[in-house]
Amino acid sequence: MNGLSALHLLLQTAVAFASTIAFAVIFHTPRREWLYTGLTGGAGWLVYLLASGLGSGAVGASFLATLALTALSRMFSFARRAPVTVFLICGIFPLVPGAGIYYTGYYFFMGSNAQALDKGLETIKIAVAIALGIGIVLSLPQALFSFKRKGR
Amino acid sequence: MPQTHSALELSFRMGETLLENGAEISRVQETMERVVQSYQVESFNVYVITNAIFVTGTEAGVEHAAKLKHVPSTSTHLGRICAVNQLSREIAQGGHTVEEASARLEEASRLPYPPLPLAVLSCAVGSAAFSYLFGGSPFDAFVAFFCGVALELYLHFAGKRGMSKFLTNLSASALVTLCGGALFLCGLGHNMDKIIIGSIIRLVPGVALTTSIRDFFHGDYLSGAIRMLDAVLVGGCIAVGVGFVVKLLSTLTGGALL
Repeated sequence: MNGLSALHLLLQTAVAFASTIAFAVIFHTPRREWLYTGLTGGAGWLVYLLASGLGSGAVGASFLATLALTALSRMFSFARRAPVTVFLICGIFPLVPGAGIYYTGYYFFMGSNAQALDKGLETIKIAVAIALGIGIVLSLPQALFSFKRKGR
Repeated sequence: MPQTHSALELSFRMGETLLENGAEISRVQETMERVVQSYQVESFNVYVITNAIFVTGTEAGVEHAAKLKHVPSTSTHLGRICAVNQLSREIAQGGHTVEEASARLEEASRLPYPPLPLAVLSCAVGSAAFSYLFGGSPFDAFVAFFCGVALELYLHFAGKRGMSKFLTNLSASALVTLCGGALFLCGLGHNMDKIIIGSIIRLVPGVALTTSIRDFFHGDYLSGAIRMLDAVLVGGCIAVGVGFVVKLLSTLTGGALL
């Protein structure tokens, strides 16, 4: 990987970090959790980029990113004594198939039925990949995500 | 329920607060059970679905019959969920009397929404950032910023008018597309699709999808299905709102846009 793409990754992750915090504000997350929701979202997006860079399709990359993101959410949930939902809901937004919804609607109304169906199916596949990713990690035992708590 | 400070009432209102602010079913149910266990309640049964709570319980020898309440799903407020979660942990540790806990709950359920300027700013920043993430140029992100401002102002207005969810999503996605399309036609931005995609992420049913999955994996199939249906309908509304306006714009300008 050359220097430019490393810079690209860094910049993208930073933007994902910022966008996740923006959504944390919209969903009224307590201020003290902002940093951690941002880290969750940034990490998820970084994994997504790396996976697609290594040749994984959008569906596979979404799945891997969701695994990483959900695992991180559980760790933060333990460390910060806050519900997993807080980190998960905000961090998931970069992965949610907004582009798929857009193109599905676009092709549907433009009369390109084949492409609309194609995009619609891909959107559903991504949603299923996200669902599996969240479901699998949330079903793992808590011990995997616990570590020595600092303070108290 | 007759007493203002009964543990059953407290547990019920905690569940209600969690549910209406977007918590998943298992959390609502567990929290309610945990609270009741910490006080002298002889029997307790609770059943929760996405938009209702059903409880029966016996407290101080008096049986309280089924208490049903419709809980309309309102907007997600993670701050209130965090606060109630913290409170339930403190109750489980035995730190509060029912009166104290009720007062704390009252505070938690009234945690304010952030001021409008902050919400608008974060929606705008979010739109711009997502537009960039999905392959837009910085110029596209700049245009998406303004679409985000328009969107959040519109959502605020629609929320005050009590507009239905269906109509809100349909009209808001149409508005965003119109806004992005119009700015694009004025020569601002490089890719109209990236501008619009960035701006509609605010509307995309990420919360409904996530909560639905959590409900499903906990075995709360009914609630999971309700939220999944919600996510699919909202996603459909967005697609229709966007597609309709793009079609309209391309017919008006006589050329294909993308």
